[in-house]
Amino acid sequence: MKHEYSAEHRKYLGKRKRNLTLVWILRLGLLALILGVWEMIAALGWVDPFLTSSPSRIGKTIASLYLDGSLFYHIGVTLLETMIGFVIAVVGGCVIALALWWSETLRRVLEPYIVVLNALPKIALGPLIIIWFGTGSEAIVFMTVLVGIIVATLHMLSAFLATDNNKILLLRSMGASKFQILRKLVIPSSLASFISMLKVNVGMAWIGSIMGEYIVSRAGLGYLIVYGGQVFKLDLVMASTCILCVLAAGMYFLVVLLEKLIVKDAES
Amino acid sequence: MKNEILRFEDVTFTYHTRRGETTAADGLTFSVREGEFVAIIGPSGCGKTTLLSLAAGLLSPSSGTVTRSGSCGYMLQKDELFHWRNIEKNIFLPLEIKRQNTAERRRQALELAKKYGLGEFLQSFPPQLSGGMRQRAALIRTLATEPDILLLDEPFSALDYQTRLNVCEDVSSIIRSEKKTALLITHDISEAISLADRVLVLSPRPTKVSHEHELDFGEETRPIKRREMPQFSTWFELLWRELNA
Ligand SMILES: Nc1ncnc2c1ncn2[C@@H]1O[C@H](COP(=O)(O)OP(=O)(O)OP(=O)(O)O)[C@@H](O)[C@H]1O
Ligand SMILES: [Mg+2]
Repeated sequence: MKHEYSAEHRKYLGKRKRNLTLVWILRLGLLALILGVWEMIAALGWVDPFLTSSPSRIGKTIASLYLDGSLFYHIGVTLLETMIGFVIAVVGGCVIALALWWSETLRRVLEPYIVVLNALPKIALGPLIIIWFGTGSEAIVFMTVLVGIIVATLHMLSAFLATDNNKILLLRSMGASKFQILRKLVIPSSLASFISMLKVNVGMAWIGSIMGEYIVSRAGLGYLIVYGGQVFKLDLVMASTCILCVLAAGMYFLVVLLEKLIVKDAES
Repeated sequence: MKNEILRFEDVTFTYHTRRGETTAADGLTFSVREGEFVAIIGPSGCGKTTLLSLAAGLLSPSSGTVTRSGSCGYMLQKDELFHWRNIEKNIFLPLEIKRQNTAERRRQALELAKKYGLGEFLQSFPPQLSGGMRQRAALIRTLATEPDILLLDEPFSALDYQTRLNVCEDVSSIIRSEKKTALLITHDISEAISLADRVLVLSPRPTKVSHEHELDFGEETRPIKRREMPQFSTWFELLWRELNA
């Protein structure tokens, strides 16, 4: 449908657009300000740049990592561990949540275990993980899954259980089987929760993988941060953290993109 | 006399929960004949929805028997359209569930939808429709599988008064012209009088049929016209007294 908007509506749209431009200018301005002040503090020697690093030193560190070929190696390692852990946690969480929705008995039996696992700080399992999985990527992936899967399970289970009872009644009156109720109603009505669970789990996956690398690894961004801290190379710590910020934001926006794709698909 | 489609014979039903038991129906006996429009009125909380669930076979009686010959279509207070499906897909839902999703069935359902003014909304999503339109879509969805009896649980009570009169008119004309058997639950006396051939009055919980009336509006089936007829207020007073006895 093509509309000829009224003058008033065009004015409103124009105002919104100008507002959006302003927001972006301010966002970028704030970033420039932070970087500028940070650089200045270091350059004028107000604080020892050994402690705070500085944007230019971070840039140089990243460049040198790139030149000796290790930049993409470390990024790749961490990214792969995070992604694999994320996918396993999400898929596993959904499957477990489906099983728990299906069987009330199972749900009641497992409830205390899930509560305990959820409350347990996963890092306490560090030594066990090292013994079971060694100090390679498997251990880090396991840690990532561990951190994410409980959250995914609980999030999806509560979405499944929140399905409108009247709609279930309606389907039952049509003679629907439990499987049909699941497929036609429970799963589609939990789509919005699925997306929000993905968003939460992006964060969880990074927590898991970096935590895992702190404990065991010999490569990856978490490793660079720990190593940089141990040898007092704050430039390396800061550079790795910045890269981490960019990657985490990138992954989050992928989920947002997916959301747009799915939501649009559901409405066309 | 026409065939009975639905028969309740001395039906008792008790809900059991952890906190105790509630007897919702005790000694419920009535029947619905083919082609009849029966309205049931009763005080709130007396067990009307329970009665419909029993009729639909979603609950089985604690004692007594419920016999239904033929299929049923259930329509609830709210339209319960699925917001992620467009109107057309919503109407096809019972066909999918009952594995009757054939081209022929879909065509019939669409014809019904077009006949009753939903033609241009088939590709729209439920939130884009007015409350009245949505309730109409819910009725078409109920009719899509061509049920032998329609079970309607206060289908108008979520609508505002104006819409309610209109939808009532629509639903009545659709049900009458499709020659459907219907069992309507309501707590609105005037709705019962304006729609039904026969009205049953339920007692408070545990409920049973306390009164039964064959209405005398002759061939007049249009709710608005019935409301203007002199018998209307006589029936209203009688039913009001019986309901509040
Ligand atoms: N699932 C249930 N478990 C336990 N008790 C129930 C259940 N459903 C209904 N009841 C009880 O049974 C009685 C009858 O309920 P029902 O919903 O059939 O009444 P109703 O006449 O439809 O009420 P309303 O006018 O509110 O629609 C009520 O006292 C209610 O509390
Ligand atoms: Mg009710």
